[in-house]
Amino acid sequence: MKPNLQSSRAGWLSPGNIARWVAIGFALLWSLAPIYWMLSTSFKTELEAARLDPTLWPEAPTIANYSGLMGTSLPFVSFFVNTVMSCLLTAIVCVVIATPAAYALSRARFRLAGTVGYAILSFRMLPMVVVLAPLYLLLLNAKLLDSGTGLVVGFTTFGLPFAVWMLKSFVDAVPIEVEEAARVDGYPRWQILLKVVVPLIMPGILTTGTFVFMEAWNNLIYPLTFITTIEKQTLPAALVLTFTGQFKTDWGGMMAAATITTLPLMIAFFAVQRSMVRGLTSGAVAGA
Amino acid sequence: MAAETTTTEVRVRSRARHEPWLDRMVLPTLVVMAVVVGYPIVYTIALSVQNYNLLDFRPAAYVGAANYTKLAGDPIFWGSLANTAIYTFGSVGVSALLGLALALLMENLGGARFRAIRALLLTPWAVPFVVVAFLFRYMYLQNGGVINAVLLSTGIIDAPVPWLNSSTLALPAVMVANVWAMAPFFFLLLSAALSAIPNEVIESARVDRAGTWGMIWHIKLPFLRNPLLISSLLMVISNFNDFAKIWAMTQGGPGYSTSTLVVYVYRLAFERFEFGYASAVGVIWLTMLMVLAWIYMRVLRMESR
Amino acid sequence: MIRFDRRGLRLATISIAALVAGMGGAASAQDKITLTFANWAAAEGTTRPGIEKVIADFEAANPEIDVVSEAISFSEIARQLVLRARSGNPPDVAQIAGNDTVLLAFTGALEPLDGYVKENLAANLKQGADAGLRDDGGLFAFPWNQSPAGFWYNKEIMQKAGLDPNKPPRTIDELTAALAAIKSSQPDVIPLAIDTTNRAFALSSNWPWMKSFGAVPVGEGATGAESAEMKAYLSWMRKIAQAGYIDPGRRIGEFRPLAAQGHVAFIWDQVLLKGVMQGASKMSDDDFYKTWGVTTLPAGAGKPTTFEGGHQLVMFASGKQKEAAWKFIEYLATSPDAIANYTMSVNSSLPSIKATGKAELDAALGTPVFKAFSDEIIPTLAPQPYGPDFAAAATAIMAGVQEAVTGSQPIDDIAASIQLGLPQ
Repeated sequence: MKPNLQSSRAGWLSPGNIARWVAIGFALLWSLAPIYWMLSTSFKTELEAARLDPTLWPEAPTIANYSGLMGTSLPFVSFFVNTVMSCLLTAIVCVVIATPAAYALSRARFRLAGTVGYAILSFRMLPMVVVLAPLYLLLLNAKLLDSGTGLVVGFTTFGLPFAVWMLKSFVDAVPIEVEEAARVDGYPRWQILLKVVVPLIMPGILTTGTFVFMEAWNNLIYPLTFITTIEKQTLPAALVLTFTGQFKTDWGGMMAAATITTLPLMIAFFAVQRSMVRGLTSGAVAGA
Repeated sequence: MAAETTTTEVRVRSRARHEPWLDRMVLPTLVVMAVVVGYPIVYTIALSVQNYNLLDFRPAAYVGAANYTKLAGDPIFWGSLANTAIYTFGSVGVSALLGLALALLMENLGGARFRAIRALLLTPWAVPFVVVAFLFRYMYLQNGGVINAVLLSTGIIDAPVPWLNSSTLALPAVMVANVWAMAPFFFLLLSAALSAIPNEVIESARVDRAGTWGMIWHIKLPFLRNPLLISSLLMVISNFNDFAKIWAMTQGGPGYSTSTLVVYVYRLAFERFEFGYASAVGVIWLTMLMVLAWIYMRVLRMESR
Repeated sequence: MIRFDRRGLRLATISIAALVAGMGGAASAQDKITLTFANWAAAEGTTRPGIEKVIADFEAANPEIDVVSEAISFSEIARQLVLRARSGNPPDVAQIAGNDTVLLAFTGALEPLDGYVKENLAANLKQGADAGLRDDGGLFAFPWNQSPAGFWYNKEIMQKAGLDPNKPPRTIDELTAALAAIKSSQPDVIPLAIDTTNRAFALSSNWPWMKSFGAVPVGEGATGAESAEMKAYLSWMRKIAQAGYIDPGRRIGEFRPLAAQGHVAFIWDQVLLKGVMQGASKMSDDDFYKTWGVTTLPAGAGKPTTFEGGHQLVMFASGKQKEAAWKFIEYLATSPDAIANYTMSVNSSLPSIKATGKAELDAALGTPVFKAFSDEIIPTLAPQPYGPDFAAAATAIMAGVQEAVTGSQPIDDIAASIQLGLPQ
C-alpha cells in the first residue's frame, strides 16, 4: 500500500510518510530555489548583484531595477504588449485553422490520412534555424518584415502543424456515435464540427492554444531576425538585446526584466491549468 | 515539398469524393503550410547544392554534392550531432523520470494545501527559456555564482567548480537547467494520466494485495505508456530546436562542447553567412528528423493494433 | 508598438499628417527627406538618451531631414545589415564596428566615402583613424569614434600585493609574477580580467595578446596555429587559468561591475570602462585617477599592440539621399554637440578628429585616462586581418583558447585542431 498522507490510519509520522514529506520538500526546493534567486537578485543593487560572495537576502532591498525598467527610455510596456498580442494572435490563428483540419484528418476514412498526418508531424520537427533565411526573404517580399503580422506568420510555421497534430488526438477521443444523431438529421459536416465536436473538445482547444502561446513566447530566433525596430520587439528578445549589450552585464536589472517576462506566462499558465489537465486527460492521454 | 502537397491533396480528393467537406477542411492548413513551410524547405534544398555565401557578390554557383561531401568529413558537424542527441534524449529521459517520480509522489493528495504545492512544483515550466538561460548562467558563475557559493560554504566542494567553463561539465550543466524547466511538464501530464486510471483497476489490484512497487510497475506504468510516448515526442521535438537556452548560456562553448546542430547551423548561416553549406546541414538534419517521425508513427500504429 | 490593424494605422497616419499640415511646420510632409539610421546606440539603455538627443539636435539644425532610428542590438546588427543589403532594403546609414565593418564592405553594398570627405576634415582626422577602413574602392566606412583597449591596473591592489603601483608590468614575465603576488596576497581578487567567450569580438580582444607572444595565426604573414609562438601563448593561458589568475568564460561586460568594487587587479578593456565603473561605484574623478591607471599591453616577444574597439558609420550605395546621409554622418562624428552629448559622454569613447572646435572638450581630452589613451595606447593600434575568414577563424581560435583554459587536452592537440578549423 502506498502511504497516504491524508489518512490518519497510517499515522502522520510513519517512516513512509516522513520519506514522502522529505521528498516533497526536496522537490519544492529544487523547483523554487532558482525562482527565489531570480526574485531576490531583482531587488539587489547593481553592485550587490555582482558580488563575488553572493548574499542570500538583499542587504539593501531596492526597487530601482523595476522602476529602472519602467522609467527608462526603453519601452518595456510596448515589449510586453507586443509579445502578448503576437503570441495570442498566433494561438488563435493556429487553433482556428487547425481545428477543421484535425477533425477532417481524424474522421476521414481515406488511407492517406496517415501520410498527411506524417507530413504534418515532420513539418512540426522542422529545424527553425534552417528555414530562417528563406522565411526572411518570404516576409521581405510580402512586406511583412518588422511587423507583428510577420511575426505571427513566423510563429505559425511551428504552431500550426503542432496544433493540427495535437487537436487530432482530442478529436480522436470523441466517440463517433456522438455525431451520428446529427448526421442522421442531415446536418452538414461543418455544423457538426461547430455545434457538436468543438464544445466537446473545448478543454483540448484551450490546451493546444496554451501550448502554441507558450512556444511562441519562448521563441527567440524569429523576433531577433524579423523585427528590426526596438519598439516592436518582444520581451524575450528585448531581454537579450538590452542586457547583453556592449557596456556591462547588469544582473539585477536583468533579473527584474526576467521576472517581468515570466509573470504573464505564469499567470496565463495557471489560469488555464485546470482545463489543461482536463484536456490532457481526455485527449493526448486517453487516445494515442 | 510543395509538389508533394498538391499531389497529396489531389489523392485526398479522389478518395473521399463523397465527403468534400472533409478535404475542404484540411485545405486552409495545407495552403498555409505550403507557403510558410513548403516554400522554405524547397528553397533550402536548392541552396544546399550551391556555393552561396551572402558576403560574396558573385552569384551563387551550382556545386552539386560538394557541400554534402564536405559535411561528411566535418568533425564539428558530427560532434554537434552527438551533442544534439545527448542533449535531447538525455534531458528528455531524465525529465520524464523526474516528472514520473513527482507524479507518483503527489498522487492522491487532494486539498488546498496540496493544490498549492502542486502549483508551486509546476512553476518552472512557466519560466521562459531565455529567462531560464540567464538565470542559470548567473547561478553557475564560477566566482560569485550562488551554486558554487552554497557548495563551498557547506563544504561539499573546496574549490569553485567551472560549471559552464569546462568542456566536460558544460553540457551536463546546461542539461540540468533544461531538466529543471522541462520536468514539470511531465509531472503535469503524468499526473493527469494517473488520475485517469479507472478506479476499478486500482481496487482490484489492491484486492490482489499488490505492493507499492508492484502496483506502480504492473498496474500504473502500462497506463502511463502512451502519455509518456506522446509527451516525450513533444519534448524531443522542442529540444531538437532548442536555441535560446544553449545560445544564451554558452553560445556552444567552451570549444564546441555544447554546440548542437541548431547552434552550428546558426553560426554557419549567420556568422559566416555560408548559406549553401548551412542549408546542406539543414537538409541532412531534416532527413534524420523525418526518419525519426516515421519510426515514431510506426510505433504508435503498432501500439494501437 | 505593433499595430495589427492596417486600416487603423493608415487612419492614424493620415490624421497625424493632417495635424502636422494644419500646424504649418517649417517643411511640409512631402518634401521632407527621410533617413533611416540602423544603430545599437538606441538599443541600449546607457546610450539611448544620448543618441536620441543628438538625432533631435541634428533634425532641429536640418529641418528638411527626418531621421528614423532603427535600434538593433550590437550582436545582431551585422547579420541584419548583410541580410538587408542582400535583399535590397538596407538603411541609409548604419553604425558598425570591428570585423563586421569589413564583412559588410565585402558585400559591395557600401558607398565609397572619399568623394564626401572634404579636405579640412581629412586634415583634422587623427592619424591612423581610418586604418583598415579602405579597400580597392577607397574609404568604405567613416570612423565615428575611437575606443582601443588598454591595460588597466588597480594601484591599490598592486600596493597591497607589495608591487610598485606606478610600475605596471611591461613584459609577460613581469605580468605573470605580478599575478602570482596578487593571488597570494588577496584571494578575493580576480588578478586578470580578459574576455574568453567564443565571439568574433573575443578574438579581436585577444589578438594583441597573441601578438605579444609573436603569434599570428591567420592573415598577412600568418604562421598558423601550430607555430611555437601560438603554442607559447596557449600554454601561458592555460598556466594562468590553472593558477586561478583569470575567470574564464565571462564576457568583458561581466567583469566591469566587479572591477568597480575593487575585485579586479588588471583588466584588458576599452576607454569606456571608466564611465561604467564610475556609474556603478559613484567614485569621483580624483579618486578614480588615484585608484586606476591605464597603459599599453605587456609584451612578450613582440611589441605591444591594441585593437580598435571604436565604431564606424557606413552609407549604403543603394540609398537615395546620399548628400543628406553624409551630412548626418559628418554631424555624428565631428560636431561638437554630438561629441559632447554622445561620443565622450554616454559612449565614453574618443572622437576620431584632432580638434573638436570646443575648448572644454579639448580640455577633457587632456585628463589622465583620455590622455593615456591618446598619447600612449592609440599609437599602438594595429589593424587585424578582418574579413569573412576572420569570423571563421574566430570560432576555431577561440574554441581552442577555451579548450586551453578549461580543458586538459595537450596544447599540441589543441593547436592542431585550431589549424584544422582555420579557413584554408
